[in-house]
Amino acid sequence: MSQINRREFIKLAAAASSVPVLGIPSLARAGAAKAKVVVIGGGYAGATAAKYVKLGDASIDVTLIEPNKVYTSCPLSNEVIVGHRDIKTLEIGYDGLKKRGINVLHDFVVGVDRAKKTVTTKGGKTLPYDALVVSPGIDFHYTGIEGYNESMIEDIPHAYKAGPQTLLLKKQLEAMPDGGKFVIVVPKGPFRCPPGPYERASLVANYFKHHGKAKSKVIILDANDSHSKKGLFNQAWAKMYGWEKEGMGTNGMIEWVKGAEGGTITKLDAKTKTVSSDFVDVKADVLNIIPPHKAGKIAADAGLTGASGNNFEKGWCKVEPMTMASAVDPSIYVVGDSCVAGEMPLYGNPNAAFDMPKSAHIAMTQAKVAAAAIVAKVNGQAVPQPYYANTCYSVVGDDYGISVAHLYRVEGGTFKYIKEGSGVSMMTMPDKSPVPAAYRKLEAEYAVGWLRNVMADAFS
Amino acid sequence: MQKALLLSALASGLLLASSAHAELNVAGLANTCNNCHGTGGVSAGESMPSIAGLPEGYLKNIMMEWKTGKRPSANMTRLISGYSDEEIAALAAYYSKLPWMPVKQKTDAKLVKLGKKVTEKCAGCHGDTGKSEDADTPSLHGQWSQYLQLEALKYRDDAFNMPNKQMVKAAKKLSDEEIKAVAEFYASQNK
Ligand SMILES: Cc1cc2nc3c(=O)[nH]c(=O)nc-3n(C[C@H](O)[C@H](O)[C@H](O)COP(=O)(O)OP(=O)(O)OC[C@H]3O[C@@H](n4cnc5c(N)ncnc54)[C@H](O)[C@@H]3O)c2cc1C
Ligand code: HEC
Ligand code: HEC
Repeated sequence: MSQINRREFIKLAAAASSVPVLGIPSLARAGAAKAKVVVIGGGYAGATAAKYVKLGDASIDVTLIEPNKVYTSCPLSNEVIVGHRDIKTLEIGYDGLKKRGINVLHDFVVGVDRAKKTVTTKGGKTLPYDALVVSPGIDFHYTGIEGYNESMIEDIPHAYKAGPQTLLLKKQLEAMPDGGKFVIVVPKGPFRCPPGPYERASLVANYFKHHGKAKSKVIILDANDSHSKKGLFNQAWAKMYGWEKEGMGTNGMIEWVKGAEGGTITKLDAKTKTVSSDFVDVKADVLNIIPPHKAGKIAADAGLTGASGNNFEKGWCKVEPMTMASAVDPSIYVVGDSCVAGEMPLYGNPNAAFDMPKSAHIAMTQAKVAAAAIVAKVNGQAVPQPYYANTCYSVVGDDYGISVAHLYRVEGGTFKYIKEGSGVSMMTMPDKSPVPAAYRKLEAEYAVGWLRNVMADAFS
Repeated sequence: MQKALLLSALASGLLLASSAHAELNVAGLANTCNNCHGTGGVSAGESMPSIAGLPEGYLKNIMMEWKTGKRPSANMTRLISGYSDEEIAALAAYYSKLPWMPVKQKTDAKLVKLGKKVTEKCAGCHGDTGKSEDADTPSLHGQWSQYLQLEALKYRDDAFNMPNKQMVKAAKKLSDEEIKAVAEFYASQNK
């Protein structure tokens, strides 16, 4: 292709296109702000929403409200637990957003007045909004396991919100004697990062191998009957951790007990760290209970959560597919773990309707959709076509990464899961030969590159 | 050839807009890519490539190679299959129009020196510094060193069977150290 033709083409194409160039914010207009956007929660979802509203239209006044001065990424926090990564590499502040002209208020939202369109904070401030982004992530249900309550998390960590909890579980793992049992209690879905507990189990087994604790076990007591990337996890576990098969009492370092066969834990004896189901009692040396999830409390307080329905409806915020606007309030957009969106044929069951996975990756594409919808609305433009995508990498051993991807479009006003563009890493090569180690190594490297990019794309 | 391409792109855009399909929103599509490739296609992660400012022909070609299964990749084959040919063409046009932003990164001076020497034999296609001079060759100057290394290793490794045989031939002549060195050299040309 000759240079002249190429230049000509660029000129022509540029003239024919009205595509805004990202990274070059439109000039702020002088005078009063066009509109006020308030964002509740500065996690992956909220930070991205704030940034992309500002990128889309610099004349919109954006305020992000978040209690913590430093955010700690959950993604790759399982690597911290096993000593592969310093927690500092997961921390990021809000200076990047401030530099973009976003007001960052370190405070906690205690109320939303939807009629007056204001939010109030613990610090006593009341802020008006034209559009409100609600992105408080998740809260836990501490009910459901007899003998378990929130006050126990200093002894029985969940490590499912990264930070001190992550470091606590790390300390307990390090103190565990060889031959001990590291027990992970997995709640019924939906929970954030569907592969998260299994990635954790893999890395803990890897830790045992490298730290002279090869007689120890990781036991996953799972309230569900299947899990994310199951084939790939089992393949990796067989390769590295002696995995044999499902159920209790197998020889491998990892045991997985499904809900229907005793994995659903209903009772805890906190003194002895013994958890029980209808079928089994397991005494743990390290006990990691991940409680069931619900939308962040403020979403429920604001009346945005479903009051009834199945696990995927009750306690979560339903949204409009085109814009991520709340199904109950068109001025409010719910993005990230708090929302329920889409329909995903999960874990090989094409008939089961579930929501989009709760991940940082999809939280960010949801936030970008909401930001574009807000900018369009403020400027009186048509709603741009939305697209949603997810990728979850899991690092499961030395130089061994796997991933799952999901793509959603909106057709006829509803979410549509796109099978092409989704799916897991190859189990075998197309000719059925084993996947070369080089592929798994690449995905372990890409996981880290991904982390740096999502952190930068959301916070800088 | 380019005019024909443009016409067909415009025509397909019109077709899309007037058909039952939703209107193509290329910036929205790109947002699904930028989680991994960085805001505006400029990567902040060492193992992930920046894609803003790569030549359109190259972008389109490799995306279509992934989609049609001709080009192996741990991730991109799977991801790109969900995008229509029109969307791929639109994404290639979109990213090629963004500026190439070489990333500032630390490089090892000794390796850079060795890399300068080794890349003399690459200059016929990649120029002295890795700056792309034609539509089918990617820019290497100021691309992330780790990404360049990983990619060069793929060209060398039969497990990947990369479709561009000239690059396979060039990479097969490189030792492990030389692969590091060429990556460091091109990465250091970040102007
Ligand atoms: C172990 C683990 C591993 C994971 N790995 C991955 C991975 O590899 N890839 C991936 O994509 N995802 C992963 N995830 C999931 C990911 O962490 C979440 O999906 C993501 O953080 C969701 O973003 P969010 O912004 O909705 O919520 P959060 O990140 O939880 O952010 C919510 C924010 O809101 C703030 N907030 C809450 N209430 C209020 C209030 N009332 N007022 C003001 N602020 C408030 C909180 O302080 C918090 O900062 C992982 C999760 C875990 C636990
Ligand atoms: C989950 C992460 C992820 C997402 C999402 C993603 N990519 Fe990639 N991309 C990668 C990785 C990893 C590589 C490098 C390895 C390879 O070639 O497979 C890559 C490579 C590329 C390259 C090659 C760059 C070069 O210098 O040769 C292009 C072009 C590209 N991607 C375009 C896209 C586009 C367009 C999208 C959105 C439709 C996209 N990618 C979405 C992970 C991603
Ligand atoms: C005959 C021309 C030619 C020669 C010689 C050549 N290259 Fe390339 N190189 C290309 C082309 C064309 C591509 C894109 C190939 C493709 O589509 O896979 C490429 C791709 C690459 C890439 C991947 C870039 C990316 O973004 O994914 C690297 C790294 C690279 N070359 C390094 C080298 C080095 C180092 C040498 C010398 C040892 C070399 N090349 C010699 C033509 C050449």
